[in-house]
Amino acid sequence: MSSKRKRIDNFLQFITYAAASIAVIVLSMIFIFVFRNGASLVNIDLLTNDYHAKYYNGGIEEVTEFSQTPKPNYLDDEDYYSEKWGIALSDEINREGKMVVIVTFVADDSPLLQMFDKNNLDNNDFKIEKDNIITSISFFSKNSALSMYGAKHMIGELDTVTEFREMVFSSLGGGIRGSLITTLYIIGLTLLIALPIGIFTAIYLNEFAKKNKLTNAIRSMIEMLTGVPSIIFGLMGLAVFVPLTVKYTPADSANLISGSLTLAVILLPVVIRATEESLKVVPDDFRNASLALGANSTQTTFKVVLPSALPGILTATLLAIGRIIGESAALIFAIGTAIKDDISIFGKSTTLAVHIWSLMTDEPANIELASTIALIILIIVLILNIAVKLLSRNFVKRFS
Amino acid sequence: MNADVFTIKNLDLHYGTLQALKDININIEKNKVTALIGPSGCGKSTFLRCLNRMNDLIDVCKINGDVLFHENDVYDRNYDVISLRTKVGMVFQKPNPFPMTVYDNIAYGPRCQGVKNKDKLDKIVENSLKKSAIWEEVKDRLKDSAIGLSGGQQQRLCIARAIAMEPEVILMDEPTSALDPIATLKIEQLITDLKKNYTIIIVTHSMQQAARISDNTAFFLTGELIEYDKTDVIFSNPKHTKTEDYITGRFG
Repeated sequence: MSSKRKRIDNFLQFITYAAASIAVIVLSMIFIFVFRNGASLVNIDLLTNDYHAKYYNGGIEEVTEFSQTPKPNYLDDEDYYSEKWGIALSDEINREGKMVVIVTFVADDSPLLQMFDKNNLDNNDFKIEKDNIITSISFFSKNSALSMYGAKHMIGELDTVTEFREMVFSSLGGGIRGSLITTLYIIGLTLLIALPIGIFTAIYLNEFAKKNKLTNAIRSMIEMLTGVPSIIFGLMGLAVFVPLTVKYTPADSANLISGSLTLAVILLPVVIRATEESLKVVPDDFRNASLALGANSTQTTFKVVLPSALPGILTATLLAIGRIIGESAALIFAIGTAIKDDISIFGKSTTLAVHIWSLMTDEPANIELASTIALIILIIVLILNIAVKLLSRNFVKRFS
Repeated sequence: MNADVFTIKNLDLHYGTLQALKDININIEKNKVTALIGPSGCGKSTFLRCLNRMNDLIDVCKINGDVLFHENDVYDRNYDVISLRTKVGMVFQKPNPFPMTVYDNIAYGPRCQGVKNKDKLDKIVENSLKKSAIWEEVKDRLKDSAIGLSGGQQQRLCIARAIAMEPEVILMDEPTSALDPIATLKIEQLITDLKKNYTIIIVTHSMQQAARISDNTAFFLTGELIEYDKTDVIFSNPKHTKTEDYITGRFG
């Protein structure tokens, strides 16, 4: 009998261990996948660069004085250097996963610095610099040097001439600055809308509303909203908030405000629930003490109950931010999927999550950059979660 | 001059269908300590909470009869409950300081009444803490959280918080039941000191405590006021056998 009991005991324990390991393994696999694909691209440039490369057409007068600068020591054999033109080129794979010829060094006395903008002769800021990508160089008397032939070929061709008709080059591109800023804007705007409404609703429901059928109905409807798929809210955003913002703001299509309004609606039930929970935790002793001192119920709520519930409300806020960062389905409708570099709250642009969606629906899909952004999102969410843990621990300490 | 602060006539109280108080008639004397004793569930705390209308917070609570505070019915439609609660302070069973600093706890009540002057608040805080015999212990900790104080200190802080409103009456609902004997002793001394200036009504489960500190004692049983008299009469020569049974420990 006892051996049978022991067997059952061991078996059940084994199931819990197995389930736990599966969960942990799956989660770590996601992290490892994202990390392996995306880690190589993570750097500050990625965060600060524009997504859309800017193309330039540079022309040059016949050159008489060439560069004297020898090849710098830190460049290796992969960097092909032309001492005459004072430029080093290298073959690399850019953030879109394509082979490109990238500028790795421009000497201070490089004659290429005298290039002018063929499209805008008044452009004085026109300059080729490190990390630019050279698409092609076209010469007067021979075939163009194209990036598909590689950096070595391009340098070789350059070394034989003293002038060329046109050099087409571009900035690196593929950066996520625009989406990062959009995400921050969306977080700010959404919280600005959702927090006051959510918190005051929760206060009403928990502190002032009579406990009757109507209040219960409101509460269960709010709970129901938590389960509605976000893409339905996205449709609502497209049908209601986009026309509304187009009518009353300078926006002429989906914009950050319509996106924030949509997200705010998604977050309302989350914020209301979390705030209500934290208000419920505040002991009635505080309310009684305050009322017995001759405070009215508004004073009691705003001077005693709300400050005591603040850590819980902060936790709700952090959860809400996590939700905003992660939301993509609703935003695809409510602000569109156009990746932009110049961000305006009345314009279209995307958050990081939608940026991933855009990259993966491109042809071909850019898994590397998508993973990098996913990694950045994961890191942000991780930091938020740790903050939530610390805060709620603090919260528990206050009342025990 | 009428020496009675509260006059209660024919007070009935129902929680839904349950009658918690039955036909209570009692006068509370000014500047005396009145103890309310009786077994758990006898209605003494409920009765106490009628006096500053804390029962208003319970939806199902229905009250009939008169609760006269200086001859005004506190349950009158036009009676200002806020002003009642500033004149009738309350100390609860569990010490319940707000999660704020010691200073802010005491200043809370006056601030709610619109006192903003810093000097005035400083004076109120100091006086209240002195009157409740805790000033020496906390005068250097006014800016610390009140949650960090010991249980006994917290309860005296709560008394100081009630005193800060300059009430006439202080209701105490088993103020020492969550405290150790030494803290209890301090609170009892404090109550004896306070009765010079305040009328105190205290609910207690400890008959020794009632005997030690009170002038009058009311014995409640199942929602009825069985006996109300001078404390020494109640404890030495009770008129009702039920009272005698209770104070000699035969039930309850």
